[in-house]
Amino acid sequence: MSRTIVVEHLARIEGHAGITVVLGNDRVERVEFNVVEGIRLFEGLVCGRHCVDVPGIVSRICAICSHGHTITALSAIERALGMTVSAQTRTLRDLAFQGASIESHALHVFCLALPDLLGHPSVVSLAGANPAAVGMALRLKKLGNTIQEIVGGRAVHPVNYVLGGFGRLPSTDDLLLLKAALEAGLNDCAAALALLCTVAVPAFVNEPIRCAALVPKDEAFFFGDTVRLSDGFEVPVDQYLTLTNEQAVAHSHAKVSLHQGRSFMVGALARLTLHGDRIQGAARQAWNAIGLTLPSTNIVANNLAQFVELVYSVEHALEIVTTLLARGLAHEPPVPVAIRAGEGAAATEVPRGTLFHHYVLDADGCVVAADVITPTAQNFSNVEDQLRATRC
Amino acid sequence: MKPKIGIFGLSGCWGEQIVILNCEDDLLTIVGAVDIVDFLGGSSRNDEEGPLAVAFVEGSVGSARQEASLARVRERSALLVACGTCACFGGISAMDAGSTREQMASAVYGAGHPVYDVAPHRPLADFVKVDAAIPGCPMEKDEFLRAVTALLNGDLPQPAAYPVCADCKWREQDCLLVSRGIACAGPVTTAGCGARCPGFNVPCIGCRGPVDEANFGSMAEILRTSAVPQERVLGRLRMFAAPYLDKESAGSNPTAGAHV
Repeated sequence: MSRTIVVEHLARIEGHAGITVVLGNDRVERVEFNVVEGIRLFEGLVCGRHCVDVPGIVSRICAICSHGHTITALSAIERALGMTVSAQTRTLRDLAFQGASIESHALHVFCLALPDLLGHPSVVSLAGANPAAVGMALRLKKLGNTIQEIVGGRAVHPVNYVLGGFGRLPSTDDLLLLKAALEAGLNDCAAALALLCTVAVPAFVNEPIRCAALVPKDEAFFFGDTVRLSDGFEVPVDQYLTLTNEQAVAHSHAKVSLHQGRSFMVGALARLTLHGDRIQGAARQAWNAIGLTLPSTNIVANNLAQFVELVYSVEHALEIVTTLLARGLAHEPPVPVAIRAGEGAAATEVPRGTLFHHYVLDADGCVVAADVITPTAQNFSNVEDQLRATRC
Repeated sequence: MKPKIGIFGLSGCWGEQIVILNCEDDLLTIVGAVDIVDFLGGSSRNDEEGPLAVAFVEGSVGSARQEASLARVRERSALLVACGTCACFGGISAMDAGSTREQMASAVYGAGHPVYDVAPHRPLADFVKVDAAIPGCPMEKDEFLRAVTALLNGDLPQPAAYPVCADCKWREQDCLLVSRGIACAGPVTTAGCGARCPGFNVPCIGCRGPVDEANFGSMAEILRTSAVPQERVLGRLRMFAAPYLDKESAGSNPTAGAHV
């Protein structure tokens, strides 16, 4: 006899979604991930807007990825306008991405996922039982926010990123403050690792995962120009539409992405599966200690991958800050903007996976067409597939 | 007994809930002073029915489903606080005030897309009584903490009744609009952010919404004598408060919407 499970409101997620699962005798027959987020139509809202205003608009797609959205939009528009930013600007944007990675992963792993793994309904309840663990998690989260505030001007919806560079560069004092905070952060990472090593990750899903992630360019783990899939396909970023093939579906406000008719997963687990050889140092030691074997057939292991990336980001941010302090920041004004008609696409790896932005501008620099594909939308179909494979 | 509060999100980026979670140094103190009984974004065990002393609501109302859920929250709450610019003014999603929602939906989802529950986005006060507002995109951490303190002491929080320019002057920052001819929306935008953007050499884009009794006439006059195109400033305000500007232009203040 078949039975239907409906979870109308998923808790501890950003946004509004539910799940409908139809169970048969011995297997899951149907899964619908119902994203019922209020429809905001960002790609329509930016049409007609001047490109200078666009990053500040699309930042509002997602608070927690607001730095990622802003910098990805800037990169796409800079491509459309034929602008090249300096190496220093690229380094500071890389630093901002480490801040976003630390903040987002600390929030997800310790405040949203860990309570579940330890049998608590919320981080508040967990704080009652283990205040030291929650204090440590909040310090790591704050470290990510401090980086984002110093580089981007504000933790949520940054103000300091502009076309061609920055409104104001961080001061030496800012960088010294960051260096001390990052060094303390490495200690918190060690304590966090010890805690996570005692937590069992549930393994109710056992299904191959098809991974996709940007091929890291140079030293930057979160930036690149080509997407690689774990079954060998490679897609240049300007041809991203052949990867995503988005389609509207009736049961969700999020569109579905399928590559050659099949779902794929983006995010920390996918990045480490495809490019884990880039992870060295304390992050590599954490990876070895935590018992994460890749490729994995358990999407819940994404939490462990996020933690490995968190350690990587603390280490890498410390490297960047140390280098900047040794070298000194050059007082570069933003690259001048020369408005022209053009088209540009850019992709970055934000905490939850690959993010695409694409804009077409007219001769006045106003947006004619826009496309934004978030990692969560790309993951949507894979989540359904993984739930379908869950044992009853 | 600690007052029971709820934290709710409608259409938006979740920014206000993230700001609450970003009060890392004060989060455990807040939790010690209030009982958060309904917070879907943070907890999987919620009381979805019982009475609340205060409901903090972020986001705009953009569907029939959200309108109904806001009404339910209002009914069970002694006080309802609109958090963030979407809740206070409509925000980014209301940018075009519903003029061509269906056209935009077709552009985004493709012609012949499935039927979705989609409505023009509106601020909370268009549907229910709002007792207090904390504007900002996102709201400032300090303002939220001050609001919680005020509410715990039986007071209602008040947004600043003066513009961003006042903060900018206090900080002795160079005026982007007058000195440098940059399209800054500071003169008509609610203060409370410490004039953060001009401090980074970037103009205010009006993310905190129009200040109470914003002097759009005087703003227009400043712009007429400067090289800054008027539509750049007022168009920026429209990014965050289109429903408010449309109402103003239809009502008492003819200059408000005339040039946006």
